[in-house]
Amino acid sequence: MVTRSSNENFRRVLGRVTQQDFVGRAGELERIMAHAEPANAGRGLLLLMEPSAGVSELLRQAYDQIFNLRSEVIPIYFAITRNESTAVSAAIEFLNTFVQQYIAYRRDEPVVSHAPLTLQDLLELAPPADFEWLEQLVESYNKLRFSNDDKALVRFCLGAPQRIPAGRGRPFVMVDGAQLAEYLNGVVVLGTEILRVFGRGGFSFVLAGLRRQILEAAHDAKCNFELLDLLRLERLNASEAALLVEHVARRQQVATSEAARDLLVQQFAGSPFFISIFLQAAREKRTSLMSYLDCERLYVDELFGGHIHRHFADLLEEISPRLDTRHLLIRLLWEAAAGEEQTSSFEVWRKRLRMTAAELEDVLHRLHVQEFVNWDESTVEAGTGPQAWKDYLKIRYRLDVLNEPRALVVADALADSLKRAPHTMARHYKQIANAGLRELISRFNCQRIPAVLFDYKAFSEKYKGAEPETIIAGLTAETEHLKLPQTVHLASCSSFDSDMRQICEEDHCLVAHTFEEGTYSDAQEVVWLAADIESKLEVDVDVARAWCDRFENLANNLGFTRCQIWLISNEGFSEEASKLLVRQKALSSSRQQLELLASRLGEAIPSPVVQTGDPNEFLVVVPMGEDNELIAASTAEQIARRLTFRPEAINQIKTAIVEACINASEHSFSPDRKIYQRFRVESDRLVITISSRGIVPANLNGANSGAEAAEERRGWGLKLIRTLMDEVEFERVDEGTSLRMTKYLRPGSS
Amino acid sequence: MDTPSGGLVRSHCVGTTAVVYASDYLNKLTGEKIERECRRQLDGGCRALIIDFSETKLVNSIGISILLGIIDVAEKSGAYIVFSDVNNQTVELFEMLGLTRHVVLAKNVSEALLNISRYETTPVVH
Repeated sequence: MVTRSSNENFRRVLGRVTQQDFVGRAGELERIMAHAEPANAGRGLLLLMEPSAGVSELLRQAYDQIFNLRSEVIPIYFAITRNESTAVSAAIEFLNTFVQQYIAYRRDEPVVSHAPLTLQDLLELAPPADFEWLEQLVESYNKLRFSNDDKALVRFCLGAPQRIPAGRGRPFVMVDGAQLAEYLNGVVVLGTEILRVFGRGGFSFVLAGLRRQILEAAHDAKCNFELLDLLRLERLNASEAALLVEHVARRQQVATSEAARDLLVQQFAGSPFFISIFLQAAREKRTSLMSYLDCERLYVDELFGGHIHRHFADLLEEISPRLDTRHLLIRLLWEAAAGEEQTSSFEVWRKRLRMTAAELEDVLHRLHVQEFVNWDESTVEAGTGPQAWKDYLKIRYRLDVLNEPRALVVADALADSLKRAPHTMARHYKQIANAGLRELISRFNCQRIPAVLFDYKAFSEKYKGAEPETIIAGLTAETEHLKLPQTVHLASCSSFDSDMRQICEEDHCLVAHTFEEGTYSDAQEVVWLAADIESKLEVDVDVARAWCDRFENLANNLGFTRCQIWLISNEGFSEEASKLLVRQKALSSSRQQLELLASRLGEAIPSPVVQTGDPNEFLVVVPMGEDNELIAASTAEQIARRLTFRPEAINQIKTAIVEACINASEHSFSPDRKIYQRFRVESDRLVITISSRGIVPANLNGANSGAEAAEERRGWGLKLIRTLMDEVEFERVDEGTSLRMTKYLRPGSS
Repeated sequence: MDTPSGGLVRSHCVGTTAVVYASDYLNKLTGEKIERECRRQLDGGCRALIIDFSETKLVNSIGISILLGIIDVAEKSGAYIVFSDVNNQTVELFEMLGLTRHVVLAKNVSEALLNISRYETTPVVH
């Protein structure tokens, strides 16, 4: 089945956005469309949603695509909403929706899908070929409606699609909001009934609901799992989410910057739901989102009284309808999340909430389904859920429990969000920068690799300063090889020992469970402990020893019997450190060795992203590395010559630019790996701005003294720039660095 | 005879003195090539090093840090080291970063060789 139509006549029926604006769920849409094919007749597809993953638009888009295909498949989309109070009312609404959408499809009139029509109205619109069976359907419904047999009525309504006569089309039913079906009043559990009726109806269907709930419902309904397929709907990845922000912002006419876009993606962890309602709020408040401050102001507004507030408030009210209990719950949830011990017993919760066991079970079940806690019958772990939930909870705790002044809580929330924003982005950029190591180790699968790639000292002696071709030829001729093990499990060290979080970033330090020769036996099991050490110079012996000790302790504590330590550093290791690592039988690699290893394992380094320019100034954008700073220096030389700078001054400008570019490359985990150079010519000066996106370096605060800098063999760049240029200042930016340098033209002396 | 070694750095020997030529841009990569060549010459028995900068137009701070490393290596080997034909802008940078405290500068290779011959003939006073 074709999943995307570029046909200009494509009609939007239920979709809230155009096909082009629907981004980030192409794979999932394809799966749903494939499920509608004849080969899957009679099969069900359970969409297991992460809370806030967003599914409605996906199903609406699927509906529109099927509607436009005009095949024998008749799409039916039904959303259970909070407006339905009982299973019976929801089932009746389903019947009405089914008849309406069936007739709309048969008449090929999308407008019928939206019109407010009764069943009687719809009968009048029914095509002659369908009138008879539809009339019978409505008559049967009217009889059952007053029979007082709720279960029979619900089953009748839900089973309506299977009454379509042969040759009049094949229904494909999509039900959205299944999580709400569990909590409707009355004796009938709608979610279970949907699965029972659809599972035996002989037609294909999709049921979307929260992942922790829907599988349980399928078990309760005694579904035949051989006829069920599963599709997990998780958060969008960063690039898909960024695209979503751009599309929604354009649609909502909200101006955004790239930095703000990326922050929203990270802050909302790629959740289409939060991203969409946040941008909707921006439109409603007519605010642009150009800076971190813009974003966090709106975010705090949202937490205190906007869409996000209403979303969580509604959920909390559903989970705990009584106000007094709700306050106790907010207190317990926040105190448990903020405390050191996030896990406590069911009994503790029961006493704190002053509830019966049955009442608490209901509350915990609802919290667990929403993933606000992890509940395993006996213990409850708090502190889970999205960041927005944690922020909301903290606010509610301070306002409702501590009764703190609202202005104070607002101010603190804003300050906290602003302080957190750069850290959120820094964590993200570091993850990108270190994704290579994780990816690399995950690819270990018994390949034979030149051993010299794991021995910095030997590599340095043989290849330091050699041409790339010479190195590659040398590696090919190497006779000593190391056979990599097969990696079967890979996680950050902090997943094993939370104290490691204090020492290094999550993806800098990894634990890989591996088997030599791919043989799964005790004797072949080896745990690799790898760390990527941040250092601009060769790592010295003290640092190397500290890492070896750290890993040995970790291995002892976790009972790893055979371990292989592997340390990586950008510039390798000092002579003494190398000797220590050899004694400790640890492997060591520089960044260059790592890249060579990556190329041998077929893993490329993360690719760059394209950028735009400013037409009013000289703008040069170059990729980091490969001596590209020379391009910038050469451009500066041309411009400076026009301004009649003397050769000495031109050389000073060139050197300063080279240093600024090196700084930009070295100091940031840049997401796009590009350096932006802006040259502004004024009558008496040349102003050059060198910027890059990424992490703001902590040491670039302009306060480093010359004496300190002279002590180190690296980090001289800024000192040189300050000496060579007349004015140097860092411009305020949300992320990355932006260094503005000015050189004045001094007639006769410049 | 000039010998472009594995890293393509031009060098030649005058007695026990190795003359190594820096390229037009001294950065990390070219610095490491020079370092590699200097180590090779010292391992081969050279007692003095001349690094010639006559072709060098631009130097960056990483290149300078590598030069400091070469000076260290030479000192440890008991070898004398001279930088020759360094342009004014580069001298300015070397001075800023304190490199000139550790190395002798010469106008050209001939002057550098003369310097070295004087050093080698100077009697050691205890």
